[in-house]
Amino acid sequence: MATKDNLIQVTDLKKYYNRGAIKALDGITVNVQKGDVMVVIGPSGSGKSTFLRSLNLMEMPTGGSIIFDGVDITKKKVPNEKGKMVKLDIDKHRQKMGMVFQHFNLFPHMTILENMTLAPIKVHHMPKDQAEKKALELLGRVGLGDRAGAYPIQLSGGQKQRVAIVRALMMEPEVMLFDEPTSALDPEMVGEVLDVMKELAQEGMTMVVVTHEMGFAREVGNRVLFMADGKLLEQGTPDDIFLHPQHPRLQEFLSKVL
Amino acid sequence: MSVSAAGFAKTFQYADMFKEGMLCTVYLSFFTVILGFLLALVLAVMRLSNFQPLRFLAMTPDGHLREEGFLAAVGRFNPISFIATVYVEVVRATPMLVQLFIVYQVVFSKNVIDLPSVTVLGFLKLNRFLPGVVALALNSGAYLSEIIRAGIQSVDGGQTEASRSLGLTQGQTMLYIILPQAIKNILPAIGNEFVTIIKESAITYTIGVQDLMSAVKAAQAGTFLVLEPLLVVAAMYFCLTFPTSKVIAYFERRMRRGDQR
Repeated sequence: MATKDNLIQVTDLKKYYNRGAIKALDGITVNVQKGDVMVVIGPSGSGKSTFLRSLNLMEMPTGGSIIFDGVDITKKKVPNEKGKMVKLDIDKHRQKMGMVFQHFNLFPHMTILENMTLAPIKVHHMPKDQAEKKALELLGRVGLGDRAGAYPIQLSGGQKQRVAIVRALMMEPEVMLFDEPTSALDPEMVGEVLDVMKELAQEGMTMVVVTHEMGFAREVGNRVLFMADGKLLEQGTPDDIFLHPQHPRLQEFLSKVL
Repeated sequence: MSVSAAGFAKTFQYADMFKEGMLCTVYLSFFTVILGFLLALVLAVMRLSNFQPLRFLAMTPDGHLREEGFLAAVGRFNPISFIATVYVEVVRATPMLVQLFIVYQVVFSKNVIDLPSVTVLGFLKLNRFLPGVVALALNSGAYLSEIIRAGIQSVDGGQTEASRSLGLTQGQTMLYIILPQAIKNILPAIGNEFVTIIKESAITYTIGVQDLMSAVKAAQAGTFLVLEPLLVVAAMYFCLTFPTSKVIAYFERRMRRGDQR
């Protein structure tokens, strides 16, 4: 039962640059379970973003394995149902992982509605009217129902990030990856984005969130990872991490950010 | 040497030839632009492809890719990109005139591709016109492909990441996300190249294409005037290139306006 609930099993994940001179990830082992809201914190350059980006292979790891839905996605070839080795179709797996970026990465030449319906129409072959209906419904839920025809340039940062979140949700992912989703926002817009993420967490979405928002980590996260120098130094519940930090690096980090 | 009204009057007796020459230049440029642009797109995509047939050589026994060493370099070898790069470098490093003569005298010679002596589009000699178009397109395709490649690389990497994270394939990402933005970025450079094609098409008169430049030769031979026919033809080229650059500038402004709504 316990293994069945594991959505992503990361084992000894490594990412080296320059023949191992730079170890962005130095042996990370962690399990993401269904329904987890896992918050990754740590100082700049600690490898948090590299870790998150490795999960859907935006970065190709140097070593270790990532088992997602029972398949090791770091391998070039994987066995299919009949046990025959076939080429791994990474696009298939990425469809099941939504990703939200620090700089939103909306497509500037498309309207909000087109941004949202492109992938469902092209990848899932969803009929256009159905995709648009679904997009409008999601936009309504994040309070942007009237901006469907707008272009990204016309939206504020907070609005753009809310669109980016629902754009990823259009593909009905099993897990959502957030890479510092509020770091590029003006302070007054951080709240509106965190509210959407909080709502998503309450609906039971599995989430991995890299963030500097300690308040969000404490309030919404059910597990917190602390990373430094490419290593996972401490993990636990928000109370463990924020009230009873063990590792000196974590204590030092918290004394600076809290 | 002086310019006289009488000289121009004599030159204008060849108005029909100038008219046909102008049409010929327009056709030459038009087909060159289309062929050259298609070739350039193919070349640019080839150069940016990541087809690595020898990648299995760079695999470690546990199935990861090597990052360093000779085998890693062999594994990264991309024959498609290599061919396109060689093509672009060779074309850019050899004279247009040499390329034109190779196409006309070798590729379209009697023993390779023998074109029938027919006229197309009313008055164009196919066995002169087609080699001209092909040579110009092969040449401008190389230059345009460098422009397109730069345009593709100028699109923010986050766009590709966002697209791939949504599960779109590499090809879909190129088609729906990267190229539309790239074209917008490089429109001025493409416009310049189109204008260059119009001007460079004059070189095809050396293989007997009856374009504007050959009309000058005829007028000069018939009137013994040197300067007037040249001035007339310069004005006519200007009438072709100036509106072209203005039209492209218009599209450029219109696309930018879309950004700032």
